[in-house]
Amino acid sequence: MDCTMIVLDDVSKSFDGGQSYAVRELSLDVKDGETLVLLGSSGCGKTTTLKMINRLIEPTSGTIHVDGRDITKQDPVVLRRSVGYVFQGIGLFPHYRVIQNVEIVPKLAGWPASNRRRRAREVLELVGLPPDEFSGRFPDELSGGQQQRIGVARALAANPKYLLMDEPFGALDAITRDSLQQELKSLSKRLGKTIVFVTHDIFEALTLADRIAVLHEGRLQQVDTPQRVLTEPTTPFVRELFEKPARQLATFQGAD
Amino acid sequence: MGADWLQSVSNWLDFAAGRMPEVWFRTGQHLVLTGVSTGLAIAIGLPLGILASTRPWLRATVLAAIGVLQTIPSLAMLAILLALVGKIGAVPAIIALTIYALLPIVRNTVTGIEGVPHEVVEAARGIGMTRRQQLRMVQLPLAMPVMIAGIRTAAVVGVGIATLSAFIGAGGLGQFINRGLALSNMQLILLGAIPAALLAVLVDGVIAATAWGMEPIRQHEKGGLKAKLKPVALAMPLLLVTLGVYAAFENRSTAANHSGKTIRIGSKNFTEQLILGELMAQMIEAHTELAVDRRFNLGGTMICHEALAAGEIDLYAEYTGTGLVTVLKRPVESDADRVFNMVRAEYKKKFNLEWLEPFGFNNTYALTVRKSDACDRGWQTISDLAKSADRLRAGFTAEFSERADGYPGLRKAYGFSFAAVHDLEPSLMYQAVAKGEVDVICAFTTDGRIAAYDLQPLADNRRFFPPYFAAGVMRSDFLQDHLEVRDVLARLSGVLDDKTMQRLNFEMDEKGRHLKDVIRDFLQEQGLLNKQF
Repeated sequence: MDCTMIVLDDVSKSFDGGQSYAVRELSLDVKDGETLVLLGSSGCGKTTTLKMINRLIEPTSGTIHVDGRDITKQDPVVLRRSVGYVFQGIGLFPHYRVIQNVEIVPKLAGWPASNRRRRAREVLELVGLPPDEFSGRFPDELSGGQQQRIGVARALAANPKYLLMDEPFGALDAITRDSLQQELKSLSKRLGKTIVFVTHDIFEALTLADRIAVLHEGRLQQVDTPQRVLTEPTTPFVRELFEKPARQLATFQGAD
Repeated sequence: MGADWLQSVSNWLDFAAGRMPEVWFRTGQHLVLTGVSTGLAIAIGLPLGILASTRPWLRATVLAAIGVLQTIPSLAMLAILLALVGKIGAVPAIIALTIYALLPIVRNTVTGIEGVPHEVVEAARGIGMTRRQQLRMVQLPLAMPVMIAGIRTAAVVGVGIATLSAFIGAGGLGQFINRGLALSNMQLILLGAIPAALLAVLVDGVIAATAWGMEPIRQHEKGGLKAKLKPVALAMPLLLVTLGVYAAFENRSTAANHSGKTIRIGSKNFTEQLILGELMAQMIEAHTELAVDRRFNLGGTMICHEALAAGEIDLYAEYTGTGLVTVLKRPVESDADRVFNMVRAEYKKKFNLEWLEPFGFNNTYALTVRKSDACDRGWQTISDLAKSADRLRAGFTAEFSERADGYPGLRKAYGFSFAAVHDLEPSLMYQAVAKGEVDVICAFTTDGRIAAYDLQPLADNRRFFPPYFAAGVMRSDFLQDHLEVRDVLARLSGVLDDKTMQRLNFEMDEKGRHLKDVIRDFLQEQGLLNKQF
């Protein structure tokens, strides 16, 4: 079954009335159950692309379909509730306790209180934070890694098919980041979520991605599996981008 | 020195102890005025601030409009409101206080909402909150501390501004301060100022406690003392308002019990006006069936006149010259009989108000200098003074600086200008000239302080200053029902000449005696309290 769940067709975005483009003529498919990583340096348009998928930003031209439906024909509020979003920075609500932060999307969607409480405890368990210990705390009583787990739990709470993740682990130390990456990888396979993940970290992309989409100055350079972008770059930019990590990898393996 | 200081504190404490019931009652009034106006300002200001934060053009307009309202001087505000609502008392006072409280509340609401971190608002939007939900669930709760800080500023400033309510007959602690200023009585001023300052500190503390009580209880605080105290902190403002209402209305019931007819007598906010008000009040109490409601210390001529015209008071003492120039806006006139006949006829026609028989003294302006200067320089008339006017500093009341029959007219009549003119509060004006901070003031001819401070009034050799004979002004309908009032007050005329008024003013201003005692002693000494005519 080859289901294409998110389709971007010739999407462009300009913030200054057409003088310059943040995203230019981008066409991209995201398949059911895959993790697609948007990779590029800052200013390449990856976050803009992600935000266009749940209409935090409206494209200047082109169309986006989610589940086969043109998103401009949908109520943005309903669309956003059906797509989990993990924010750069953390975006937790500082005045809500952990449990309230996690159950917010089900609450907005009108779930009965007992259901959403049960579900919130379930996802807290899922992200490795025992609910009995953490439910009643406020975000500022958690470490950075714990806060980011809450961010993931919040995105998962309403059980969306899709997760949009905007550099969620960018601010964490290397060790915490590594363990969260591993957990996310196993979690996404276990739950069968379709994930669009934005990062500027090449190793993070190689670790998590089923496919990597490389963006440069608003244009798509190549979409392929990690293996193929490493070994068969189609543009000079992609070759250069992966040259150094590939060399490091080789040295590392050689020394081993 | 130390002992002197202790002695004056102990004197003041005795003085205050004797007036505790009134202090309690005025504090209650003060709290109610501040509480109600702050409450109204919150009810208007929060929605306005929220609305303004959503639209940039509205934000600019609203903040500018409220900023302009804020700059209206308080007495002008009271006079405008009196003209608009046609009432003295709590209503215009509360409207004015509400207007002044709006700015900090609206501004902090806007600032608070705008200060919520952008990424939190974007997260709220990104997870699927509607605009309304973003505001209600995220922006407002996070803006709350800043909004409460605004309310706190408004309430504390409100306690200070509420002292002005006394000018428009709404009571409060300002009553003591006004009376104290009018009588130059520091003990009275402190009787209003100290409780007002304490009240400001208390209100500030209570709102701070409320804000603290609104903070959620943290995990590690559960079951602790803090967790138990928070609900108590939340109840504090309610407690304070209840206390205020109780203090303000506790003895209302007894006052309202009086069954007979009442006459409401007003006065302006200076000593002579208080004396005239009290003289009329005691004469009426002694010789008629009427009860007297004293609404003294209203903030100036226009507030008294508007209050009388609107039926908020029935009687107050006015001066013929003031009626002609300030109220009727007629040109200056120097013939006493003509002036009296003109104001009597015009008041009847325009306002349906009745001028009673003048008391007999003429309290006109006199340019007044230190006696030592007058001797050294040989000043006897205003024309003498005019020669060196360009080197002299004048201290005038704000009213004198503006009125056609004050400084502007004087300049034309004598053809000179002073080097500098400072607007001064009447009781400060005399001190300023005595201490040499100004050289010339606009004293009143009946003022006891002319003698007390060793001052010399200069002769008005060009007869510029119009006559200011004082007389009761009364509502015509009230007079028709109570002709006995006119007859009773007529017994005062001829008794009050310039010298007598100077003496009574002096008793109050310099000796700091109680108003009621001074008047009772004077009336007894004149035999005016005797029942037989």
